[in-house]
Amino acid sequence: MAKYDKATIEELIDGTIDFFQLKEMLSSFKDPGRFDTYLEILQERVPWEDRILLPYSLHLYVVQKSNGQRIIKCDCGHEFCEAHDNWKLHALIHVRETDEKLQVLYPELLAPDPQWQVIREYYCPGCASQLEVESVTPWYPVLHDFDPDIDGFYEEWLGRPVPQPSGKSR
Amino acid sequence: MGNRKTQILAIDAGGTMTDTFIIDDRGEFVVGKAQTTPGDESVGLLYSAEDALSLWNMKVEDAFPQLLTGVYSGTAMLNRLVSRKGRKVGLIVNRGLEDFHRMGRSIQSYLGYSYSDRLHINTHRYDPPLVPREWTRGVTERVDLFGNVVIPLYEQEVAPAVRELVAAGVEAIVISFLHSYKNPIHERRARDIVQETLDTLESDIPIFASVDYYPVRKETPRTNTTIIEAYAADPSRRTLELVNERVKEKGANFDIRVMASHGGTISIKANELARTLVSGPIGGVVGGRYLGQSLGLKNIVCSDIGGTSFDIALINQGDFSIDTSPDMARLVLSLPLVAMDSVGAGTGSFVRVDPYTKSIVLGPDSAGYRVGVCYPDGGLDTITVSDCHVVLGLINPNNFLGGQVKLDRQRAYDAVKAQLAAPLGLSVEAASFGVIELLEAQLRNYLESLVMGKGYSPTQFSCFSYGGGGPLHTAGYVKGLGFEDVLVPAWAAGFSAFGCGAADFEYRYDKTLDINVGYQATENVRADAAEALQGAWDELTEKVRDEFDKNGFASSAVQLRLNFRMQYQGQLNDLEIESPLAALSGATDWDKLADTFEDVYARVYARAARSPELGYTVTGAIVRGSVEIPKPKIPEEPYEGEIPNTAAFQGQRQVYWDGEFLMADIWEMEALKAGNRVRAFAVIESPATTFVIPPGFEAVLDTHRIFHLRQVSEGR
Repeated sequence: MAKYDKATIEELIDGTIDFFQLKEMLSSFKDPGRFDTYLEILQERVPWEDRILLPYSLHLYVVQKSNGQRIIKCDCGHEFCEAHDNWKLHALIHVRETDEKLQVLYPELLAPDPQWQVIREYYCPGCASQLEVESVTPWYPVLHDFDPDIDGFYEEWLGRPVPQPSGKSR
Repeated sequence: MGNRKTQILAIDAGGTMTDTFIIDDRGEFVVGKAQTTPGDESVGLLYSAEDALSLWNMKVEDAFPQLLTGVYSGTAMLNRLVSRKGRKVGLIVNRGLEDFHRMGRSIQSYLGYSYSDRLHINTHRYDPPLVPREWTRGVTERVDLFGNVVIPLYEQEVAPAVRELVAAGVEAIVISFLHSYKNPIHERRARDIVQETLDTLESDIPIFASVDYYPVRKETPRTNTTIIEAYAADPSRRTLELVNERVKEKGANFDIRVMASHGGTISIKANELARTLVSGPIGGVVGGRYLGQSLGLKNIVCSDIGGTSFDIALINQGDFSIDTSPDMARLVLSLPLVAMDSVGAGTGSFVRVDPYTKSIVLGPDSAGYRVGVCYPDGGLDTITVSDCHVVLGLINPNNFLGGQVKLDRQRAYDAVKAQLAAPLGLSVEAASFGVIELLEAQLRNYLESLVMGKGYSPTQFSCFSYGGGGPLHTAGYVKGLGFEDVLVPAWAAGFSAFGCGAADFEYRYDKTLDINVGYQATENVRADAAEALQGAWDELTEKVRDEFDKNGFASSAVQLRLNFRMQYQGQLNDLEIESPLAALSGATDWDKLADTFEDVYARVYARAARSPELGYTVTGAIVRGSVEIPKPKIPEEPYEGEIPNTAAFQGQRQVYWDGEFLMADIWEMEALKAGNRVRAFAVIESPATTFVIPPGFEAVLDTHRIFHLRQVSEGR
């Protein structure tokens, strides 16, 4: 069974890994310890102490507060909302819905017609990192696109209970 | 000893080791190994030959003068290509299409991948192009697909392009224009201007116009192949010359020939050297055809199991088929290649348990020369099929490669237990036997689907089984398929080398044509078609004769075979057919070609599928020219009776088979005589291969040192 050292997983996270090593990893069965190594690296890199339960998307994590609450948190430390809530509705949103704003990105004839299509950009209120971009029709709702079953993931896939906040029992 | 009549030298120069096979007049062979010497491959080659001959107590100086012929195949060119260490090549293409080479074809992003990786798009990758964009220049011109000049060649654009490329330091220039196979006028004119410009620059870098090399349809394969000629093949010519010189210095009386993709061997002076890029497995198919000719067998399935793959090719009516757009080194090419099908399953395939489904997974990667966990020096942790053989007792750990490589049974046993038996909850032996059964079932399905998929039945074919790992599994993968006969040559492990030695000295040139003749066409149309095809044959015949001329063969010594590719108009697949006529003139000759096509079509597909009302298209002309050369003799021995000599009997060994330990008779392959019948349960051992006769089978050795394996009962 494949087993990779921490440095390899760090290269994988940073995207600096050599392609042929990456190809071999992709073509092999996943190493059983991957999730923990991955989480350990992410935890080391964030400047705050809350425990990461699950990487959520680029810059975002589901963390566990000391009171047991699960929160979506940016790596800058900004806390968006409760884990089951739609974090996008708590972000700063920039909508490119005019020709002028769209043509900052695309040349005139290659830009979408804003009557049909707009571009929504989501930013972190804490650090202004761009977290998500959607290209949608103007009336399209802000979908809640990822609502992970964290308990199910830990118990049924990893085969262990979700870590408990220190000093608390379930 | 020391008085062997050496016949054939076959050299396989790999990236790390150079293998030398020397075959004598009995078909027996010795294998020598030495480290490859990349600077001058001839050094490693001679060490390797010395190593081989030492087994016969012979010296190179005694053995080489007796040799009849020598064939080289090597991976130096392939390595140069794969590691992108070829010449700096400049490319001249149509203006506006300067990016087509680096864009390549999307299939190139997953060529050579396993099936699961082909579906797993994250693994796909485009290799760096052979010619980067900055050494590519566009020149305005356009010839359409009918060969009409749509835009004339802007001649004034050629010289500046050449000057820029030379200033950039390129070491060769390739020219490839759209549809130049159809109308070569622009490409040839551009080539001449490039030459003139180089002359004024006092530069002697070589020029490669695609039309002079591979005048065939599809620009990416044609351009790739022409670039390879400039990039990797031509620079390898010096290596081959050195090999030739050194072999001659030691007394050889022949010129070394090189195995080429079309199944013939060519001179090291050949114009199109890129087709020697291929090596290895096609040798066995060529050997299969030769052996079939000698034995009077016309329909043969050639099957080869090595350490990494299972390769199958069909020989039909005495000839193999040719794939005209194969791929090598993850590039689509326009070379004629002996058609073969491969699956990544061999004796070195890794064996794993899928952690999610708990099923056994074989390969697709393999241990190669590192054998398995049973070979401590190989440094492997993951078990292979070979480890299972060792556990079961099918491979004698003390007699692997004639005892040169000592295997550790306990190591294999422990590893199979930890990685396979324990997770599956089976005994170590049962788990190992399961692996062998799974492998053989996969091979059997693959073999059957291949034969049936081409519209044939195994009962029409004889099956040749060879390769180092072939005879171990022959019984398993032919079981129940009903082949007419199953033949295992005693020299199975050296069969590819034998095949290289048996290959014709043959050139083959292809040209794309589009000759359309409708249903009930007028006499004039049919006569013109015959004339156009004959014109292409004349052009290619000239090329073939020129090549033989370089080696001093008069044109009268060259035997020509004219082939054409034909299809019904509008259909997608053409058939390559040998012309029944040596020259064409007039409408009646055309009709004979069409009749031949109808016959072949009926044989390959079905009589009822013939559709003359669609009309015909000739898609290509092919000329094959060969000259007489010495070939290895098929061994011939007197019949000695059914009962093997006791000297051949090596005692018994416990082997686990299908749920229980059985005592297997161990025979020494070399000591068995013509006529001997070996009954199950038996293992016939030789230094390079192991032949298993499982319950339900028996094998008889004929007077040509070929075993015939027969199923005598349903077995157990």
